[in-house]
Amino acid sequence: MIVETENLKKRFDGVIALEDVNLEFLPGSVTAIIGPNGAGKTTLLNVMAGFIQPDSGSVFLIEGNDNPFVSGAGTEKNNVKRDIVGLAPYMVASLGVGVLFQDVRVFKRLSLLENVITGMKHQIGENPLAPFFQFHAVERQEREAIEKAAHLLEIVGLSEKSRLCAEQLSFGEQKLLAICRLLAGESKVLLLDEPTSGVHPEMVARLLDVIQTIAEKDACTIIIVEHNLKVVKRVGSWVYLMAGGKVEVFGKPQEVLRDETLRTLFPTL
Amino acid sequence: MTSIYTVLALSLNLVLGYGGMLSFCQAAFFGLGAYISTLLTMKAGWPFVPSCIAAILVTGGISYIVSIPLTAFRDDFFVLATVGFQMIVWSVLYNWTGLTGGPLGIPAIPEISIFGSYLSSLPAYFMFALIVAVLLWLAVWRLSASPYGRTLKAVRDDELASMALGKNVHYFRRTAFTIAGMLAASAGVLFAPYASYIDPTSFTVDESIYILCIVVIGGTGNLRGPIVGALTLVLMPEVLRFLHIPEAVAPNTRQVIYGLLLVLMMRFRPQGIAGNYAFD
Repeated sequence: MIVETENLKKRFDGVIALEDVNLEFLPGSVTAIIGPNGAGKTTLLNVMAGFIQPDSGSVFLIEGNDNPFVSGAGTEKNNVKRDIVGLAPYMVASLGVGVLFQDVRVFKRLSLLENVITGMKHQIGENPLAPFFQFHAVERQEREAIEKAAHLLEIVGLSEKSRLCAEQLSFGEQKLLAICRLLAGESKVLLLDEPTSGVHPEMVARLLDVIQTIAEKDACTIIIVEHNLKVVKRVGSWVYLMAGGKVEVFGKPQEVLRDETLRTLFPTL
Repeated sequence: MTSIYTVLALSLNLVLGYGGMLSFCQAAFFGLGAYISTLLTMKAGWPFVPSCIAAILVTGGISYIVSIPLTAFRDDFFVLATVGFQMIVWSVLYNWTGLTGGPLGIPAIPEISIFGSYLSSLPAYFMFALIVAVLLWLAVWRLSASPYGRTLKAVRDDELASMALGKNVHYFRRTAFTIAGMLAASAGVLFAPYASYIDPTSFTVDESIYILCIVVIGGTGNLRGPIVGALTLVLMPEVLRFLHIPEAVAPNTRQVIYGLLLVLMMRFRPQGIAGNYAFD
């Protein structure tokens, strides 16, 4: 799924957060958004997730086969292009946009398995009448969900702790669990807000492996907001450098990291 | 009475323990269930079972309509809004004298009659109330163990994260509030023929606080808590009788003990005697 933003503008009490932001994010790639504090990175992510409504502009989700990186690319008329501005966050999520919050936000009193299963979409049993009137369908779907959740926990290396409460995990493990929960929802677009912040270096490597695997194998569109430039270099396919609510530089990580603008914004580099 | 209060505690536990919403209006739904079923039986001449079903469904409809503005509030505002609703219902029951009898209430409520046979003895009524309470407990158990219950707990734990996973949090909060309203109404339809007399004083905000005491002391977030809470608080007056406390001060002593228990629970075991969710 391609994500496009068009002329996004957002001000908070007159302070510019986003100013004519036009970006494009492609499937199968990890696009990093970097920049100093107050550059508008997290605002941009929240706008794309539906948590903040922009003052003007659009965020398009494009489903179809005109992705130049996919063989057999077609024409634009085969695409379904949808503006998600104005939709509630749960509606945006149900269209396939998943968010990893900077402060993780796992369901602390639920087990790891329950956390992952909650991430799954279209659960018949979420209708309160279904457990009584569609007993067998609910039970069958539940068995499949448990199996799938156990498999996903194995991928991120948390299968041994699947019955523990999420609050018993370390911060880094909670981030892995949150990613696992996103995978369970089969989101096609993942918005990751500083996925490695506060995580032990050993765990960072594991996290980045998982992110890279998702992008390559599942052809997900991954957008990360990151301060750690080493991480950007390691997983980023493309980089947007933002400052003052605008995009200053766009390119491959090696190009952007060598750019003079970056050195001006981060003099300590 | 233990069965009736177990059902009331189940009702509040669904809203508070599973949904994370501190409600002070369960007595309002309790009262609506009692009044509607009584009026249908006595004034419209309906048999007991259809009047019960109608009372539960009508109360469910009212609780759904009320849940729309109420669940838009959060935390303290939600609590205040439920107190407001509780006061509105009480005022209607108290002042609509033509329908409800106002402060005089409705006396001489007939006994429960099911398919022509009357539950006239206390043991028969006890068995009937127990069966209803067990069936409702099983229904809530099924619901809480289902994906619906799991997602409701997720919404309770983190609303923002639930939204980000595609969950319509308003839907879950509203349906939980509605089901809880219907459960409280079920307790109401059991209560009216048991007491044989109802008036608005049985459905005040004090009653809502008493239900809250049962849930908080018994425990929230699981299905053991409501039973433990109802047994503890409903049977406590019987225990106090053995202490030979004079009749004149017994009710006040009871209130002091409930209050003290509540404070001690908040300090030392916020999840209650048998609960596993400490609301914050």
